[in-house]
Amino acid sequence: MNQNIEIIVDGQTYEAEENSLLIDLLIKHEIKVPYFCYHESLGADGNCRMCMVEIVGQKRPQIACDTLIKPGMEVHSKGEKIDTVRTNILELELINHPVDCPTCDQAGECSLQDFYMDYGLHTSKINVQEKVTHAKHVDLGANVMLDQERCVLCARCTRFTDKITHSHELGIIGRGDDARVSTMPGRPLSNPYAMNVVDLCPVGALTSKDFRFHQRVWFLKSAEAICQGCSTGCNIYIDHNKPKYRDDTVYRFRPRRNDAVNGFFICDDGRLSYKALEENRQRQTLLEGQEIETDAACSHLKALVQQHQGNITVIIDANLYTEEITALLVYAETIKAEVTAPLEFYNDANFEDDLLKSAQCAANYQSVLDLNLSTQAPDKKGLIINFNYPEQFHADTVVSFNTHQGAQASLIFPIASYSENSGTLTNKDGLEQFSKKAVTKNSPSPTILEWLERLKQ
Amino acid sequence: MMRTCQIVSQKFAIEDAHTLSIAQEHGAYDTLAKCQEFTPLEMIQIIKESGLRGKGGGGAPAGAKWALMPQDSEQSSVLVVNCDESEPGTFKDRQIITKDPHLLIEGILLTCYAIKAQDAYVYIRGEYFQFQKVLQRAIDEAEEAGFLKNINITLHRGAGAYICGEKSALLESLEGKRGHPRLKPKQPEPEWYFGQPTLVNNVETIASVPFIIQNGAEAYRAFGTEKSPGTLLFAMSGHVQNPGVYEAEFGVSMMDYINHYGGGIKNGKALKAVIPGGASTGVITAKEAEEVTLDYEALRSMGSALGTGGMIVMDESTCMVSVLKNLLEFYHEESCGQCTPCREGTGWANTLLGKILNKRGSSADINQLLEIADTMNGKTICVFAPAVSSVIVSFLTGFRDEFEVMV
Ligand SMILES: Cc1cc2nc3c(=O)[nH]c(=O)nc-3n(C[C@H](O)[C@H](O)[C@H](O)COP(=O)(O)O)c2cc1C
Ligand code: SF4
Ligand code: SF4
Ligand code: SF4
Ligand code: FES
Repeated sequence: MNQNIEIIVDGQTYEAEENSLLIDLLIKHEIKVPYFCYHESLGADGNCRMCMVEIVGQKRPQIACDTLIKPGMEVHSKGEKIDTVRTNILELELINHPVDCPTCDQAGECSLQDFYMDYGLHTSKINVQEKVTHAKHVDLGANVMLDQERCVLCARCTRFTDKITHSHELGIIGRGDDARVSTMPGRPLSNPYAMNVVDLCPVGALTSKDFRFHQRVWFLKSAEAICQGCSTGCNIYIDHNKPKYRDDTVYRFRPRRNDAVNGFFICDDGRLSYKALEENRQRQTLLEGQEIETDAACSHLKALVQQHQGNITVIIDANLYTEEITALLVYAETIKAEVTAPLEFYNDANFEDDLLKSAQCAANYQSVLDLNLSTQAPDKKGLIINFNYPEQFHADTVVSFNTHQGAQASLIFPIASYSENSGTLTNKDGLEQFSKKAVTKNSPSPTILEWLERLKQ
Repeated sequence: MMRTCQIVSQKFAIEDAHTLSIAQEHGAYDTLAKCQEFTPLEMIQIIKESGLRGKGGGGAPAGAKWALMPQDSEQSSVLVVNCDESEPGTFKDRQIITKDPHLLIEGILLTCYAIKAQDAYVYIRGEYFQFQKVLQRAIDEAEEAGFLKNINITLHRGAGAYICGEKSALLESLEGKRGHPRLKPKQPEPEWYFGQPTLVNNVETIASVPFIIQNGAEAYRAFGTEKSPGTLLFAMSGHVQNPGVYEAEFGVSMMDYINHYGGGIKNGKALKAVIPGGASTGVITAKEAEEVTLDYEALRSMGSALGTGGMIVMDESTCMVSVLKNLLEFYHEESCGQCTPCREGTGWANTLLGKILNKRGSSADINQLLEIADTMNGKTICVFAPAVSSVIVSFLTGFRDEFEVMV
């Protein structure tokens, strides 16, 4: 075991594990250091040479991403000398860069822009006009677009396909300033995690075909949420915005780091699942296909409950938040209904892999198991009250609470989707995680808890 | 006075010495029996005592490198012979593989014995197609004659990238990946080929081993200087009467060598400058060439390096700006492109010099060249960029006036 030791950075003492990477310490303590190629999930490659620091006793500046912490080490992360080195290397980085920020989708979340603000604000010394030109709109596959000119050749994307997905689609071809990222002819980027390269790319070389040009990133607000694609429970940011005269809209999901769950990544299915959130939403309260007042709908449901005493089943969807499931169990008890939470629909062995994706394709699958709920199809067929489970069951009367359209029921209540609501989920490893509300619609659908409250009155 | 020395060139003048029968008539493979007198560790000790230094350009002591190889490794050890020979001005290794390939094979067998390797690879520059055939035939002959019972020797052709001569890039290339130099290890350790401990040595280094095993460390030390013992296949190209490769001992005067073997400067012109050891060593002026001796220490003290010992000799008619332009075009083409300073610096310096050469530059551009050189120095993964940096600086130190008149 390596022991903890003390080192000095910019005059301040920090504790760190001996032989751990200096750059990790700098990142952890938010000591400013520019870097392109290093990434905690991919390790050091040492190619960008931006992360230079001064180490007392060493003649030359050293790259922090390839420096092991040793006892007694003294580091300067700033100062005129090191700033000059960084400025000069940044200048070289810019010599062939197109600097087309106004039309670049990365603008606002671009490392090159950030470092320029830190180390580049000076009169340019670039005294040659010609720039090396490369392809600007390469469709790599899997929703990923490449602009070879904006690439800083940090090799994060190629290392991702080499070390993480082992699918090896991306490589760098050509030498010197002719080097560029590419795929082999006829072998496009295609793996279930491909779009993570867009997040890994520190600049606007890799952008998402799905997201690009839809929103400037500085308009987006982020909510810390949990993906509902499967029971892994990957941590995500829901990036959303309410543009003028329009409704609050989700524009993308991004992975949110959680080393206990998903690390830095999410799968592409999960990432793109935001689309289904917005499409075909159930927004109206319907009785036999006709819109009705919510109060009337509540009264109607209460009457149905009276009518079918002793012959009622409540169906719970395995994606509902734990708070909702608990409240539904209480509700079922008050109306003396049987409860079932079928899982059949959510088992998909084909979805599973050994990275993140789980065969249990519902976010709160584990809670259903933990609560020992019945997962059988309902056998009491007088009245079925279905809380968002996507399959249809036949009964004398079916009442349905839905986020999305498509239910076959005589009475339908619209409910808020998970992005419009917060709550707890238990992932397949038993970890409880909280997912925060992101979106507030102009006319929000009530949550299940709100409906239950109204049904009590 | 020039003393004749033939440690690796002893059979160069013998006709058909590349064939096994002729080579054996002249003593090839005799040391295989002799080396059985020593344990592997004793062999390494002899190499250490001989002071043999790597002849691929760096001059690192070979014995110390051999000693890093584990003697009891679970993963079997590997020897890789570097025959990439792509450094402009350098063409010595090809003499060995075409004129006396069995000397190299003998050296490989001895080295494999010392480091307990069963597999040896010769990484040969792709353009050496004809020469490779000669070496391959020699390997086949040695195989048939039963010399390769315990050792596999595989020839591997490079694809024409200069950077694949750098040992870790070479190993990446040998592993089937792009020839990108690796980050340097934090402590002295062997190289690694697919996770196996690996020794990388230059062709001539390995070809020097049979002499040392045959005659002992002292016999080798009888040549050269205290710190640069032995000999090197020095070479000359450029404005000399007789360009070529001639083995000489370290420590001889550069001008004696050029005059003795090269027959002096061509067409009776005056010497202007010498690039002493392949393109990546800093240029020295005629005056410096008059004073310098051909050993690692003397050239280092002049701010240059001995490198591969391939001298590029330039007479008074040479335009130094054009020479540097020629070199920078090469470096621009050959930078592997990993490190930002090297990838972008070689291109920028090359374009800038083009501007100066076309009389569109300014004296600020000359200073900018030096600044680029400074950013390229000591801030990269391998020493390619620092070498380019030192080349630029040496041209601007020794011949700045030629640049000034162009702006
Ligand atoms: C850019 C570059 C190119 C090189 N090219 C060669 C080469 O062509 N042949 C060679 O033997 N060594 C070359 N080297 C040196 C090797 O990295 C390595 O040091 C050498 O092969 C070790 O053998 P030695 O100790 O016997 O010299 C090169 C180094 C660099 C940095
Ligand atoms: S495309 Fe992006 S991630 Fe890939 S090498 Fe270029 S800058 Fe790095
Ligand atoms: S693995 Fe599962 S939880 Fe993670 S992003 Fe994909 S679908 Fe969502
Ligand atoms: S210094 Fe140049 S050649 Fe060497 S690794 Fe870096 S980019 Fe490649
Ligand atoms: S982050 Fe250290 S060299 Fe790129």
